[in-house]
Amino acid sequence: MTRVLLIDSPVANSASIARALRAAGADLQISSDPDDVRRASRLVLPGVGTFGAAMSWLRRTGNDDAIRDAVARGAALLGICVGHQLLFDGSEEWGAGEDTGAPYGGLGLIRGIVRKLACSLPVPQIGWNRVKWTGASTRLFDGIADSTPFYFVHSYAATSCDAEVASAAYGVSFTAAVQQANVFGVQFHPEKSSAAGLRILRNYVMMQ
Amino acid sequence: MTFTVIPSLDILGGRVVRLTRGDFASAHAYGDAEEILDGLQLPAGCALHVVDLDGSRDGSPRAVEVIRRLSRRDVRIQAAGGIRTTADARRLLDAGAERVVTGTLAAEDSDAFRELVRAIGAERIVAAIDILDGRVRVSGWQREACLDLEAVLHEVERSGVEEILVTDISRDGTLGGPSFGLYRRLARKTKLKIIASGGVATLGDVVSLARIPNVRGCVIGKALLDGRFSFREAKERAGARDAIPVRVIPCLDVRGGRVVKGVNFAAIRDAGDPEECAARYEADGADELVVLDISATGQRRATALETVERVAGALFIPLTAGGGVRTIEDFRALLRAGADRVAINTAAVQKPDLIREARAEFGAQAVVLSCDAKKSGQGYEVMVRGGKEPAGIDAVQWCAAAAEMGCGEILLTSVDRDGTHGGFDLGLLRAVSAAVRVSIIASGGAGSCEHFREAVEHGAQAVLAASQFHDGHMRISDVKRYLDAEGIPVR
Repeated sequence: MTRVLLIDSPVANSASIARALRAAGADLQISSDPDDVRRASRLVLPGVGTFGAAMSWLRRTGNDDAIRDAVARGAALLGICVGHQLLFDGSEEWGAGEDTGAPYGGLGLIRGIVRKLACSLPVPQIGWNRVKWTGASTRLFDGIADSTPFYFVHSYAATSCDAEVASAAYGVSFTAAVQQANVFGVQFHPEKSSAAGLRILRNYVMMQ
Repeated sequence: MTFTVIPSLDILGGRVVRLTRGDFASAHAYGDAEEILDGLQLPAGCALHVVDLDGSRDGSPRAVEVIRRLSRRDVRIQAAGGIRTTADARRLLDAGAERVVTGTLAAEDSDAFRELVRAIGAERIVAAIDILDGRVRVSGWQREACLDLEAVLHEVERSGVEEILVTDISRDGTLGGPSFGLYRRLARKTKLKIIASGGVATLGDVVSLARIPNVRGCVIGKALLDGRFSFREAKERAGARDAIPVRVIPCLDVRGGRVVKGVNFAAIRDAGDPEECAARYEADGADELVVLDISATGQRRATALETVERVAGALFIPLTAGGGVRTIEDFRALLRAGADRVAINTAAVQKPDLIREARAEFGAQAVVLSCDAKKSGQGYEVMVRGGKEPAGIDAVQWCAAAAEMGCGEILLTSVDRDGTHGGFDLGLLRAVSAAVRVSIIASGGAGSCEHFREAVEHGAQAVLAASQFHDGHMRISDVKRYLDAEGIPVR
């Protein structure tokens, strides 16, 4: 079984994600200790709630640097929902404007800014939405058909970033998934997306 | 396939007006055509439907000057009303109209219609078919046509004209919703492109029309003029009609750790183990699950939490839990037990601030307003305490207020229909969906696949049923297959 470390943020639905990762075959370690995070070879960064609260917690606990160190060493990282948003340079939800950066930045592992969904549809988007391939193929989506619906709950999203591998449309097109080398992110909730979601988690857990 | 949203201006005495059900005595004046057009903020090259009411009544175009003025703007005008001869059509085209719409000719005078097609070309003609109680009406809807519907369709098909503009007179200007059934029937009868007209009141109506095969556009008058939504919003929603699957949600009514089912909120009987039901439903394609513990008060809360924990542990789809939620602490306990969202009902009515507090604490997506509504006179009244006690407030206003305060979604149950299998309360769905922008889960009355389709057509983004699924009368996968075949997107 592959060892996976789930970063135990209090600003996340860790219990649901832990259950899904186990169902996907992970030998799961759940920790909020930056030393554990730094040493891990496969990380999952969950997140619900606000970008600011989630990022503040990472900084306060030193997990922001721990994640960056792990990724620099070659560890794989999967961000889910707000965890996916944290991979970016910053978010409008937390003061990021046209020229962003400290003190309100994200992890800065993926280039781009997360913005409020600018459409007339109800925000937050709550529900299933089809995910379309837009970029290079990614191992994360092995065995998943193009335009498969996944479950989303969010008010913010990145749009057309360089690392985008899939998008979805909700009045406007937004980034549904990213991959850049060993860093992966999904705006949707695989742990709530039934069989398709579990397949994505299994792909991540089992990836060589 | 693109869906065209066509704003409509009805002209009477040189001014923009609205009639209700084609009755000239009901005319409501909006003002100068150019000013109204500016107010609509249409994009360049937008289609515009202009109805010459004087012309339609008199049998000859009367609003040629208005058409001429409007056509100087960047709009593509389809002119309707009073076009009886090729000369009439030419006057309007010369004045700047791109196309002419004629109803009376196609339905009354086949020779003149064919002559018109030969003279100006089929691509510049839209054939209007105005229907009242299944019969074609002409001359500004004042009388019945010589030809029946089948004959008119046949006439149009053989003429080479590709588009028909179909108005259900009984719905026009009422904001009561388009005749989805009429368009579905027509779409089965003919391959002609259908433009729907009449009754569009909500963005949901636009989406529902766009989902019907062969319906390629809709004409919207009153709703745009009254500012209920903008052209841009209508276009955006129509464009996203296939993107967002409609959710089919089984509901487990739980009592003392067992699934039960009542009729009209009474006569409870046992229907199984919650965990087993939940897993079976996910496997059959449930998009989400609702667990309402109707006994979850006082010392029974612990059992309720345990049930939610067990159900959540069996699922990889979202779970909404509710029943007896009184405080933020109850909220937190259910979320900890594994619920993704919490439904609040009686407590929110008694203390609306609970919605605000819960939103601030857990986010709008976690807050579901559960509203039990009962028909009362012309409107609907909120019922509390398991649907038994009138709260003395209007259900539509309450839903609007709750959405304003921050609930992410509304679980709207018709107390009258609950457990009857007689169909959802479509009037209730229409009224609430016109008043809120959050999504609505329709509940109470599901008895057939058609009922689910109707609920979606009338404003629901999700449909819920309990006993129909428990008793095996319907399978979730069958409902989804049916909706898919009817052009309604499902997962």
